[in-house]
Amino acid sequence: MKAIRQIHAAVFVVAFLATLLALPPRLLAQSWSVQVDKVEPGDVEIEPAFRIAIYENLLVELAKTKQFIQVFRDGDHNASGPEVLVLKTTVQKYTPGSETRRAVTTVSGATKINVRTQLYGREGKVVLERAVDGNVRFFGGNLRATHNLARNVAEALKKSDLPAPALAAR
Amino acid sequence: MQKIALFEVLLTLCAACLLAQNPSGASAAPGSPLHVTHVLGFESVSNNANGELSIQQHMLQFKKSDGSTAQINVDSIQTLSLGVEDKQVGGTAAAVGRAATPYGGGRLISLFSHKKYDTLTVEYLDANGGFHGAVFQMNKGQGQVLKDGLAAEGAHVTNLETTKPKALEARNEGN
Repeated sequence: MKAIRQIHAAVFVVAFLATLLALPPRLLAQSWSVQVDKVEPGDVEIEPAFRIAIYENLLVELAKTKQFIQVFRDGDHNASGPEVLVLKTTVQKYTPGSETRRAVTTVSGATKINVRTQLYGREGKVVLERAVDGNVRFFGGNLRATHNLARNVAEALKKSDLPAPALAAR
Repeated sequence: MQKIALFEVLLTLCAACLLAQNPSGASAAPGSPLHVTHVLGFESVSNNANGELSIQQHMLQFKKSDGSTAQINVDSIQTLSLGVEDKQVGGTAAAVGRAATPYGGGRLISLFSHKKYDTLTVEYLDANGGFHGAVFQMNKGQGQVLKDGLAAEGAHVTNLETTKPKALEARNEGN
């Protein structure tokens, strides 16, 4: 009876360790904090409301994923230390749509945004780079595209394998 | 049966046209509270909350309909910019109603049931130096009143050209 219990305990420990090993990206990501920089318009003319909506939605969506210890705003004095990554977002394409055109025609009037999103380590090295889209094609106001975009950025970061803080600092 | 459906479409169309009118206009006196919709970003206020935005004792204050308030110091404002947004009126309920209207009547209604709003974007810093941005939506013409009021209080106003979306579309498609 005692031997069976010991075997059960050993199996449990092995299963627990295997589970830990199966989740390295998430565990590593949770050792990072992130600072979200202001959205750069690049060469694209984008309305200030859209630029701000992307920034604010990014802060909300990144916090929702619980991937990072803390999500800091641009310029926050508390965002210091080697474990803080910096998220830079640059608009690459922006097509302003029209809610009325979408409602009347269904096929036209979509609002489309494409951004290049880069995660920098404290040494200024790019840790991760992605191009992400955000659109609103049917229902909803034009600003909903910024919410979709931020959600897609957060998902892209969640799916990616972030390096360990010590490796990124090299 | 068809006549009834047609009558329904016409009735909804008339209602939508009436809704799209803007009787309140833009005649708000400087300093008086403006009825606005907080789209996103202002302190702890929930998105799409309705309330009154006013400038009181050098503070930009948003008072929700339930009485709770949030405010920032005018000195913390970095940039103010004004834009115009064309939106369908009536929200989700009206959108569902339009979609359910038979014979494509919803599309016809949509053609008339839209309204232009001013969007005021306020960029400011918090006590930790963190950058914030808030977007408010208000009746057309009221944005300029508020912007002038904040400028008179000493807020940093960037005179950005209010660019129409169609002009932006044409310029960005060239990229």
